[in-house]
Amino acid sequence: MLTPLETKLLGLMMAVIMLGMGASLTFKDFQLAFRRPAGVLVGLACQYGIMPLLGFALAVALDFPPALAIGVILMGCMPGGTTSNIFAYFSKSALALSIMMTSVSTLVAVAAVPILLDFYEGLAGLPSEFVIPASNVAQVLAILLVPTLIGIGLRRWNPNVGATIELIGGFLGVVVILFLIISWVPRNAQLLATTHWSVYLATIGLGVIGMLLGYFLARLLRQDPRRSRTIALETGIQNGPLAVLIVTLTFSGTMQQEVLLIPILYSLFIVLSSTVVTLWFRAITNREEHARDNAKVPVRLAAPA
Amino acid sequence: MNHSTSPYGLQPWLAAYGEHIPREAPAPAHAHLADFVRGAAQRYATQTAFTTCMPNGMHGSLSYAQVDALSDDFAVYLREIVGLAAGSRVAVQMPNCLAYPVVAFGVFKAGCVLVNTNPLYTPIEMEHQFADSGAEALVIVDMFANKLEGVLPRTSIRKVILAEVPQFFSAVPRAVIRGVMKVWNRTLPSVRVPHVRLAEALSEGRGLREARRIDPGAYAAGQGADSLALLQYTGGTTGRAKGAMLTHGNLLANLEQARAMGRSHLEDGREVILTALPLYHIFAFTFNLLAFWGAGARNVLVPSPRPIGNLQRAFDNYRITWVSGVNTLFNALLNEEWFTAFPPRHLKAAVAGGAALQSAVAERWQRVTGTRIAEGYGLTETSPVVSFNPLAGVAKPDSIGIPAPGTEVRLVDDEGHDVPLGTPGELIVRGPQVMQGYWQQPDESAKVLREGWLYTGDVAVMDEQGYFKIVDRKKDMILVSGFNVYPNEVEDAIAQMDAVLEVAVVGVPDAKSGEAVRAFVVSQDPGLTEEAVRAHAKRLLTDYKVPRSIEFRTELPKTPIGKILRKDLRDEARRAATAR
Repeated sequence: MLTPLETKLLGLMMAVIMLGMGASLTFKDFQLAFRRPAGVLVGLACQYGIMPLLGFALAVALDFPPALAIGVILMGCMPGGTTSNIFAYFSKSALALSIMMTSVSTLVAVAAVPILLDFYEGLAGLPSEFVIPASNVAQVLAILLVPTLIGIGLRRWNPNVGATIELIGGFLGVVVILFLIISWVPRNAQLLATTHWSVYLATIGLGVIGMLLGYFLARLLRQDPRRSRTIALETGIQNGPLAVLIVTLTFSGTMQQEVLLIPILYSLFIVLSSTVVTLWFRAITNREEHARDNAKVPVRLAAPA
Repeated sequence: MNHSTSPYGLQPWLAAYGEHIPREAPAPAHAHLADFVRGAAQRYATQTAFTTCMPNGMHGSLSYAQVDALSDDFAVYLREIVGLAAGSRVAVQMPNCLAYPVVAFGVFKAGCVLVNTNPLYTPIEMEHQFADSGAEALVIVDMFANKLEGVLPRTSIRKVILAEVPQFFSAVPRAVIRGVMKVWNRTLPSVRVPHVRLAEALSEGRGLREARRIDPGAYAAGQGADSLALLQYTGGTTGRAKGAMLTHGNLLANLEQARAMGRSHLEDGREVILTALPLYHIFAFTFNLLAFWGAGARNVLVPSPRPIGNLQRAFDNYRITWVSGVNTLFNALLNEEWFTAFPPRHLKAAVAGGAALQSAVAERWQRVTGTRIAEGYGLTETSPVVSFNPLAGVAKPDSIGIPAPGTEVRLVDDEGHDVPLGTPGELIVRGPQVMQGYWQQPDESAKVLREGWLYTGDVAVMDEQGYFKIVDRKKDMILVSGFNVYPNEVEDAIAQMDAVLEVAVVGVPDAKSGEAVRAFVVSQDPGLTEEAVRAHAKRLLTDYKVPRSIEFRTELPKTPIGKILRKDLRDEARRAATAR
């Protein structure tokens, strides 16, 4: 289990990550996103439609005991992870859309996550000691909005500070995951060695299947390929550290240890699978960008907005 | 023909100058560029002169006074420590960044000659340009310095100074940018030739300047309007790049001419110009760098405008009032939602040069931004501005506008006689901006410079108001069984097809007709056939202009600023023909 100090450190790092997320935003970005709300709405559908259902389905299909089931359901219900933005950046996807999806899903999370969690916990028939109280989740999320707003302000105040914090926030997203792995894995080597293959399948599958379904749903809803790739990454990448934080604030002792298994393994594997996917997407985008730079203005002009 | 009765001698364009453009450009107030640099630095000392804006919004800035002091330091370094003499050539090879103006102005202050060099050059091109110019020192961006190893021994370069893109940024952003370049982009190679970092060179120069109380003003004291300032290499259509010799007088005159053309939209000390075109290119060099330095503007430098999203933060964070570009740049901006949804609110004017501006792009720009793109015309050999569409008053689509004040323009036939109004003829230019000749190429110079007139090789027509329209390059003209075919006309016709992304038309040797028209087409529709293109061309063009052969390509060869290189396609076609 995480020591109180580690839990505090985790909370602090989450705050910096949210600061970074804020620093990547301008109010113009929100306006741009809502000029074509389809992208954000499709993203939300993937985030809160596909992922929680996928988490629940995995828990049921793999016949998980309550401690694992709550882990994978919680993971599915989480908002988009801020690391998705750094992957979107490096994969040269629609960064603005990625940032927007992360921000909007994080804002919506205050209401959506408690409701979804409640619903799927009920559906899975989890015993009461494994249920995460909705108010816990709402509180944590509400507190994290404060650094986000500060971040938006910092970027307006000084672009150098904004860009630096944005990068730090992004990298910290990866650092937190490393921190979790380093502090958790050695203490649970025994547990990992005896962990059933189905747990590995669930933790890798949640991310990879999520990306796949996200991509096809986005294409189905008429998003262009580049935006669909962004949505795919965004859908598959959940906010793992946030799940860990919520678990540590809700459970204690051995129970915490067991519930943490899935969020931590998920966080580990999502970094690996996202890296592979990012390199692939980057190559595709490079090719497309070159073509688009040279594209000619359509002969028939669209009316200006 | 008598000048005063020729349509060109009458200079009908003067009537289109209106109230804003003076009939004569003001005479340069300075004897040479070093004085010019100092003059503006004194006037606008505390104002921001340059800001480099990176794609992620990180930025660094220098004030007029800082640029002045740093370029003094660099002049002292070149003269006292490298030991250059007045007139020595210094090659500069870097993308847009804060180091560029410091170094370029430092070269002028040292009384040396600047040799602008494209950072994307191959080692072979670099070697040619360094050896030909006889450059003794080179300032190169570290990103490309790994190309130097094989090059240096065959040149007279004895000092290599390394600049960097985030030069003069504050410590944290600089470290972050260099970290990303090194680790993620891998664009910082290790440099194995002996070199000194620009920051060191500047501090050595400053140390010496202070210790010995050197007045760098003395270095350029002997220089005047006729002294050589810049060797600006130009591809030309045959053989290797030639260095156009531009004097202090040429550049000072041309920047005044450019300012005169833009006067209606220029407020000294208050403009913010976006420089996305490379400063090593003559258009951005004279227009963005020199003219706007003189106007006390803030110059926002973007190291690379590709992908076009790199410009987003510059438009977000700065109150851009002017932008210069080429057709491809404006086109790319108009394809971006962030640009069309939030067009720059303070924009007053945009100017285009380098290549023909498509009317669809010009129209859409006007509709999106509410400002005009004034299309102009110029050549490396003319520093570069020859003509512009006026920003206030009548602008004509597809026209290169009217000659700048103090510029004489005529259209002549092969014998050098003026052609009648409305008839195509070779455009020739005389004025204070015309170069002295090509560096160490008297024969080549004599071919283009006759009695003070520069023969541009461009074929144009003039209308009654004195507006010119480029028909084509003389050298690109295709002679099909004795008929003139202008590639531009054929390209425009083919480009009207929606399935055609880009097209280039050249003449290839043909046993029957002497030359035949060949079109190279980049299609954006895999279903497009040769027959469809030819059928389309037949509807719009007389038979002899319709391409005999059509070749599909995935891309066309282009210059760094996006001009299609017909020459390369023609050479390729000729080689293929002789090989057969």
